[in-house]
Amino acid sequence: MNDELFLDERVEVLAKYGSGLNPCVPIKFRRASGREVIVAEIGLRHPTVQGRRTVHVFDVTDGAADYRLEFDSERLTWRLTREGDRT
Amino acid sequence: MKTLRHDYNSETPQVMHIDLNSCFATVEQQARVRLRGRPVAIVNRRTEHTMIVTASYEAKAMGVTLGMKLKDAKKICPGLVGIESDPAKYRYVYHKMLDIMNDYSAHVRMKSIDEGVIDFHESPRAIRERGLESIGREIKQRLRNEIGCAMRCNVGIATNRFLAKTAASLHKPDGLDVITAANLRAIYASLELTDLTGIAQRNESRLQAVGILTPLQFLDAEAQVLRSMVFKSVNGDQWHQRLRGWEVDNVDFEMKTAGRQFVLDGYNLPYEQIIKRLHHLCEATGKKIRSQGKVARGVQVWATTHREPGTRKESVRGGWEGQHGSRYWHARHMSTMPFYSDQAIYSQAKQLFVNAPPLIRTIGVTVYELSDDDDPQMSLFGDELAREKSIVSAIDEINDRYGKHVIHSADTIGVGDTVREKIPFGSTRYL
Repeated sequence: MNDELFLDERVEVLAKYGSGLNPCVPIKFRRASGREVIVAEIGLRHPTVQGRRTVHVFDVTDGAADYRLEFDSERLTWRLTREGDRT
Repeated sequence: MKTLRHDYNSETPQVMHIDLNSCFATVEQQARVRLRGRPVAIVNRRTEHTMIVTASYEAKAMGVTLGMKLKDAKKICPGLVGIESDPAKYRYVYHKMLDIMNDYSAHVRMKSIDEGVIDFHESPRAIRERGLESIGREIKQRLRNEIGCAMRCNVGIATNRFLAKTAASLHKPDGLDVITAANLRAIYASLELTDLTGIAQRNESRLQAVGILTPLQFLDAEAQVLRSMVFKSVNGDQWHQRLRGWEVDNVDFEMKTAGRQFVLDGYNLPYEQIIKRLHHLCEATGKKIRSQGKVARGVQVWATTHREPGTRKESVRGGWEGQHGSRYWHARHMSTMPFYSDQAIYSQAKQLFVNAPPLIRTIGVTVYELSDDDDPQMSLFGDELAREKSIVSAIDEINDRYGKHVIHSADTIGVGDTVREKIPFGSTRYL
């Protein structure tokens, strides 16, 4: 299987909010270790529902690895839940 | 069936079939940028011994096929990346695709999670006048704009659903083809019988038995031959019409059964562990029929077993059911009263499962004889049924609000992590 890491790490995210097809665009995030990751591209954003709570999942990359960020729209929190696809 | 038409349908094509290419692998490559251009295989479990559900085009080019075990695929494609399926992602893409298709016609039918049909016959004139090829190209572009730049789809345009699907499979990936009465014979001449949707090994043998070896011979066969010698039913007439571009597949089928199955997560699991998993499947099945406003009257449980030690693996036509040493077992029960609660399904399934064989590999539960849950007839047990209905509705409401399986039987605690939701192939009712 792919060597992805499953995480549940609270992260600080700088995002741009606007209009159009992608109204929320994460720009960069800071991990618990203090390391900053600059988002080079958003692969896909899709919502998931946990009961009536919507969590938006952002699959992003910094060019060296792929990451999964999850934004809880009720609690307004960001979590890093996966890291993988390093070559 | 109405009078058979012997000519080819020469109307302007008004049916469009859209098929996402290697859907689940493409969606993963869209989401995970660093997987693009790499061979990717989607599997349902995080293990090397599982079957491949979808492979990316890069993997297919290396000889990886669907149904192959991941560990075997890695032998012929060493760089293959195995990814566990993520149904929420595919469901999102399905809904985006459906939204786009709905912009062009009120007559859209999704055939499965990754393909759908737009019927333009009753679309506004302004849309039809643009021409379906132009609309097809626009839909391709919209998929890239609204989902992501790695998304590709095949578009097929024809006079009926069958030919539109055939057209969509001509140039993968990212093709756009039109089949009309003018190029129909040339297209058939380039295909094998099994390239036609609905013609697999069994139907191919039936056709070959009467000397029909190619799609062109199939097209030229008389309706009488197809009806009385090949398909031995009205199916023969339908094929005669379908091949000529006349519509016979514009039908919706009623929901007749619902169920779930699960390949056990261990060899020779103890009976009580299997029963817990069966209970979870019953809960999922109950939720399925209630979500569609149905009640059931029959329950079937089934199981397949591992090959018994010492028996030789010998695949024969018919797949796993035909494997020597492996057994398919089932039992069913029909009730006089309709039911819909998880508890009612489970109590019957559990009773039936007592006779299940040892060494079980796969289990499944299916409910059948479904009908609409609107029977106004008062039964002798009216109060009892009303009370059960209130409890079931309350549980469903809580689970809808706070998440699946927030309230469930104590028996299935922890089983939900094992029996996880998988890709819903086939019906799109639950998407």
